[in-house]
Amino acid sequence: MQNAIDQLLDSANQVILGKPRQVRLSVCCLLARGHLLIEDIPGVGKTTLAHTLAKLLGLNYQRIQFTSDILPADIIGASVFDARNHAFKFHPGPVFNQMVLADEINRATPKAQSALLEAMEEHQVTVEGKTYQLPEPFFVIATQNPSHQIGTFPLPESQLDRFLMRIELGYPDHQAERQLLAGQSRRNLYESLPVQLPPEQLQQIQQAVSQVHASTALLDYCQAIIGFTRESSEYHCGLSPRAGLALLTAAKAWAFMDRRDAVIPEDLQAVLAAVAGHRLRAGNTDSEAIVAPILANVAVL
Amino acid sequence: MMMKTELDKNVLIFLLSAIGLIVFPHVYHIPTAVFGFFCLLLAWRFAGVWKPNLLPETAVIFLLAACGIALLYSLHQGIFGRDAGTNLFITALGLKLLEIKKERDLYLVSYLAFIVAASQFLYEQSILMAAYILLVCCLLLATLVAINSCKAQTPASLKTALIITLQAIPIAVALFILFPRLEAPRWMLFNEPRQTRSGLSDTMEPGSISNLVKSYELVFRVKFAGAIPPPEQRYWRGPVLSYTDGKRWTPAAFLKPLKSPAVTGAPYQYTMLMEPQDKNWIFALDMPKGFSPPLSLNAGYQLITSDSPGKRAEYQVTSYTDYNTGPINPGEYRTATQLPGEPSDRIKQLVSRLHGFDSPPDDFIKQLLNHFRAEDFHYTLTPPVIEENPIESFLFKTRYGFCSHYASAFVYLMRVAHIPARVVTGYQGGELNPVGDFLEIRQADAHAWAEVWLENRGWVRVDPTAAIAPERIEPEINVTRQTAYGIATADKYLPLPAYNWLKHTRQLWTSVDYNWQRWVINYDNKSQSGFLSSFGINDLKAMIYWMIAVIGSITAVLCWFLLYQKPKTADKVLLIYSRFCNKLAKHGLVKNPGEGAKDFAERAKIKLPERAEAIDRITAVFIRLRYGRTATGEDLQQLKMLVGLFRA
Repeated sequence: MQNAIDQLLDSANQVILGKPRQVRLSVCCLLARGHLLIEDIPGVGKTTLAHTLAKLLGLNYQRIQFTSDILPADIIGASVFDARNHAFKFHPGPVFNQMVLADEINRATPKAQSALLEAMEEHQVTVEGKTYQLPEPFFVIATQNPSHQIGTFPLPESQLDRFLMRIELGYPDHQAERQLLAGQSRRNLYESLPVQLPPEQLQQIQQAVSQVHASTALLDYCQAIIGFTRESSEYHCGLSPRAGLALLTAAKAWAFMDRRDAVIPEDLQAVLAAVAGHRLRAGNTDSEAIVAPILANVAVL
Repeated sequence: MMMKTELDKNVLIFLLSAIGLIVFPHVYHIPTAVFGFFCLLLAWRFAGVWKPNLLPETAVIFLLAACGIALLYSLHQGIFGRDAGTNLFITALGLKLLEIKKERDLYLVSYLAFIVAASQFLYEQSILMAAYILLVCCLLLATLVAINSCKAQTPASLKTALIITLQAIPIAVALFILFPRLEAPRWMLFNEPRQTRSGLSDTMEPGSISNLVKSYELVFRVKFAGAIPPPEQRYWRGPVLSYTDGKRWTPAAFLKPLKSPAVTGAPYQYTMLMEPQDKNWIFALDMPKGFSPPLSLNAGYQLITSDSPGKRAEYQVTSYTDYNTGPINPGEYRTATQLPGEPSDRIKQLVSRLHGFDSPPDDFIKQLLNHFRAEDFHYTLTPPVIEENPIESFLFKTRYGFCSHYASAFVYLMRVAHIPARVVTGYQGGELNPVGDFLEIRQADAHAWAEVWLENRGWVRVDPTAAIAPERIEPEINVTRQTAYGIATADKYLPLPAYNWLKHTRQLWTSVDYNWQRWVINYDNKSQSGFLSSFGINDLKAMIYWMIAVIGSITAVLCWFLLYQKPKTADKVLLIYSRFCNKLAKHGLVKNPGEGAKDFAERAKIKLPERAEAIDRITAVFIRLRYGRTATGEDLQQLKMLVGLFRA
């Protein structure tokens, strides 16, 4: 199974140049059944990354471009009157897909945002009293512009908490940039990608990830990290229990990708910035800097 | 760590509460105006915690400061002396509270509060106060800890402060014992305000002592070097009252100093610890013989001190219960036979019926005591009030009386029979505190007895109260105690056995208090040099060397504990792994606390490429043992072996 993951990573890295760590984190996030938030300025490849992952995982895929006038019905669908049958018929919206790319989610109004976020949490949609199950697996990859840009509604902390990870892409380095400029169109590249990890295998992997062992020593370390964020005056509020669970799940996926059947502290440290950064300080995009005091002060047990 | 731009509200509340607790006990000593002024400022600051715009501006603070200065000036006209200094500090602390703006101000206020806390000891040095001040200082320390730590949590700060205090105690003890004790210069001596304390007075009226016996207040404690005298010998001599106007008894106006009494028998050596009193009387065991200045014996064989009696003080006295004061001088004879007027016929008849005029004094005393016993005389704490002719009324009419009634009636009748006699007041008995092995004498033990002068024997003590038949002593007075002692003292002890534990606790407490007084408060220049010379430390230089050495070594021990305290590695795996880390540390490879084993191994491999394989194997086994799903004993053995073989 790990071979399949490695192949998937290789293919992704062909498309997304010079960002192996971010690619690895995004795959890790999906293996941990989490939703992913990609936050960066426009044009650094957020959408390309989302497209690539959807393609490689062979998931049916829909993109929702969030704008300030988008309505909840535009996301989850609406009942339309069928004149022939004299009845209302539900037309599912773009959210009824295995992978949903919510592009520029912070451009939409909070009402539209929350429609998506509810679907993310419940894996189901309720319209006019009727509940519709969303397909399995169900992933949301949301992209977000830094909130200091004009015309954005930054996601509140409570909704940021729904995303397992937040990653930043950043500018490519010199070599990657050259490769990008010299190479062919990214769109053509990911359109031609083969499926590396079909949904059945993905589910097996997700099952295996949840079986990864976390020893008491590791849980001690995990709790020490959570405790530090709650006690330290660095942070306004510490990590919630849900954040703690997210941290451990992500670390398990990371350990699995590293071909290990047990989590070690390095796994927690590797995913910490992505998992905890947006939960600790929403406005700040430099997750590494946010978690630096934790890594420096909490002793590995 | 970011600079805190605004002061933490919790820290402020904590600090202000601690300051309030520190200043609170001063309410007993400082003028109400100063205390009120301080309370106003503190309350103002408290309000300012929640509503910062309530805090005064500079001009208002200036005005308040002027008010404070005026208040202090009107009270003391200066800043010297204990009261003025304390008031100055308290006022300054209150004013400074209003301008806490930066972190620096918090420190200043804390240090001022420490000074105010210390000034409490200028007034009161009891063990309870010491404990209280230590506790509030702990709170203040916790505030300082909270200001300085990133974890601004109250329980954690309190714990740290407690640990700091505990660590400081050995140093404090060493400083206490070894730091040269300085005698306070004259101008610093405390002029305590007069307080009225209950106690024996130098006059006796019927009923004056019965007020005292209701008080359980401690008067003094006695610790005997050897044997403790039997209960019937425990008469603690106070003022001698020779002159009477028929109702009141007062000391004779004029008594010449006389020869020291001749003594026989075994001496009783003891240490007296007097509680603060109004009078400079030392209630020594009858008859004091050996004592040293500032004690002196007055003409009534009563010990007096020239020291201020307002402080607790300790005295060494030797007494003999067998004594002979020798002949009486004419002046003394005159005062000892003085009568307020011609005795009435009934009295004369009584005296002659008891053969007062025609038998030796010894026989008359016996007759009279028999009379008290045989006739219907009662002993009571609440005698009826006799306004007119108290002695006669008592002898013939009421017959209910307290020790003062019996003593005065006895002395009066003796004088009618031309036998020199006088009233002695003081304390009788005392309760043995088995915890501290000392006697406690309380106001309830106040007593009055008589002394008659007999040919060849000098002044002899006679206690007429002892003659009353036991069945006529009021039930509220502990009968067993009286029959055992042969005298009657009122007893306020709780009679029920269920209260025994209470008594026990009280004894334990008084014992602790006694030892605190003996070993801490009374540890002065003299007792320090005495104590230290038993360790061979004789002069100031040796003292200072020793002090530096002891404090240095305590500091070193504490440092060692703090720096080399091994983290608790109960885990065998971690223990072996830390051995591996120690080996790598020789190459300057020190594992950061926040670094995982795998990352550390990567770092180590770069530095020691030739040992890469061994490092990898050890790290892999360690990770398997510590984080793995199935670790076996074999793995542990393997790790042990690998680490043992590892040569960095």
